[in-house]
Amino acid sequence: MANLANLYDVSKCTACRGCQVACKDWNQLPAVIEPFKGNYQTHEDTNGDTFTIINFFEYEDPVDGVRWNFIKRQCMHCLDPECMKVCPRQAYTKTSWGATLHDPDKCIGCQYCAAACPFDIPKYRKREDVITKCTMCADRVEEGLTPACARTCPSGALTFGDRDELLQKAEARAKFLRANGFPRATIYGRVELGGLNNLYVLTDTPDMFGLPVNPKVSGNITFWQDWIQPYFGWLIPLMLTASATSFVTSRILASKHGEHGEHGEGGHE
Amino acid sequence: MALIPEYRNDVPRVERFNFLARFSHWGHTVTFLLCLFTGLVLFLDGVNWLAAIFGGYRGAGLVHRVSAVGMTIVIIIGAVFGFKGVIEWIKDLLRFGMNDIKFIMLFPLEFLGFPVKVPPQTRFNGGEKGNSIVTPTCVFLLVLSGYIMWFPAIFPVGLVRVSYWTHDIAMVGATCMVCMHAYLGSFHPGSGESFWGMWKGTVRADWAKHHHAIWYDETYGDKSKSE
Repeated sequence: MANLANLYDVSKCTACRGCQVACKDWNQLPAVIEPFKGNYQTHEDTNGDTFTIINFFEYEDPVDGVRWNFIKRQCMHCLDPECMKVCPRQAYTKTSWGATLHDPDKCIGCQYCAAACPFDIPKYRKREDVITKCTMCADRVEEGLTPACARTCPSGALTFGDRDELLQKAEARAKFLRANGFPRATIYGRVELGGLNNLYVLTDTPDMFGLPVNPKVSGNITFWQDWIQPYFGWLIPLMLTASATSFVTSRILASKHGEHGEHGEGGHE
Repeated sequence: MALIPEYRNDVPRVERFNFLARFSHWGHTVTFLLCLFTGLVLFLDGVNWLAAIFGGYRGAGLVHRVSAVGMTIVIIIGAVFGFKGVIEWIKDLLRFGMNDIKFIMLFPLEFLGFPVKVPPQTRFNGGEKGNSIVTPTCVFLLVLSGYIMWFPAIFPVGLVRVSYWTHDIAMVGATCMVCMHAYLGSFHPGSGESFWGMWKGTVRADWAKHHHAIWYDETYGDKSKSE
């Protein structure tokens, strides 16, 4: 099955946050009320009960004046998800059409995935001691529906569909934007981290939207997963074998040298 | 050959480890092994039967954390009440010299059971000095990285990521040392009385004289009397 993806077009988004409400509604997530922080953002970040959020950024550009950028953030559903690699309980799975799913029944709340994710997406839900994140509404998609956020978007900023088709659409849109007042317009998610299933059309460079320009899995995580975990542990059986060998050889040798050997009873020379 | 030499009351014995040292040692043994087996559940990527012993993965996680706190308490008790002993321990480790290097070089032969003549040793021989440095260092790293991983929200994410591999490396390091230490301190024919030194606190005087000549002379021998 072809990869299905969500395309988010920044230039069409009005930051109404209907997607946030639809997400809460469909996933039956309770409201999280956070104190007012002096901007339009509803929450500090995604959290255990908030799978998607509109982030707001204000910039003062010497030429363009004040720029007000907003962007929808949620799980990127990476084609090669790092969360899935580090999970010691195999709680993460990849659906045939590309969603990265997390099974809370298998989760033990170790939060390895939260530290491994280059986009800082998996979040800890303290009251259940599990990690939660966007599911790309797999339960809807598998019934032929579109994700709740894409379904509800009134301005057409969110489109759900075949990844390759959406990429073509995104390219065309970015080209149009570049020619019409957004010279730095670009797309995001085609090649980043080996490809994402959440594609973006941005009116400016990714860093202006709080996205990592070149997202990378931390070297600490790679070192841990690719070197320490698979190989280093073999030292333990090696040491056990050494002790077992000594147990046998020292007794054989002792019987050859006789019990009076220097180690025998109390060690008389 | 018996697994461990018989404990004999009818020969002169000298104290090797006081109560606090033994409490600390066996406290670490119990908590370390509990932490080890519950931790291996995750390190080996899902060992269902091992997890089942502790009541599933969440049960193993709980035992891991309770034991970790227990180990922390043992460390604190040992360090606070046994401060003098810890200092003496460190002082002996700092006496690392040629006799220790010779011991370590000859040790593989001794380990396999060949009769070797090693130079006189202080309270801790070359191998014990190595164990005394590596294992506590690993345990210290384990405790430190463990608490960082337990409460990732209050630490910078970079530190949490470093803790993951640090915890694993320190675990493997400590476990390797423990595998050797457990055997050498019990069933190894060359170790003789060592087990009783840590279990009952005393060792046979003749064994101490033979295996830790410098220590024996300084503590119980002629040198200590002349002072």
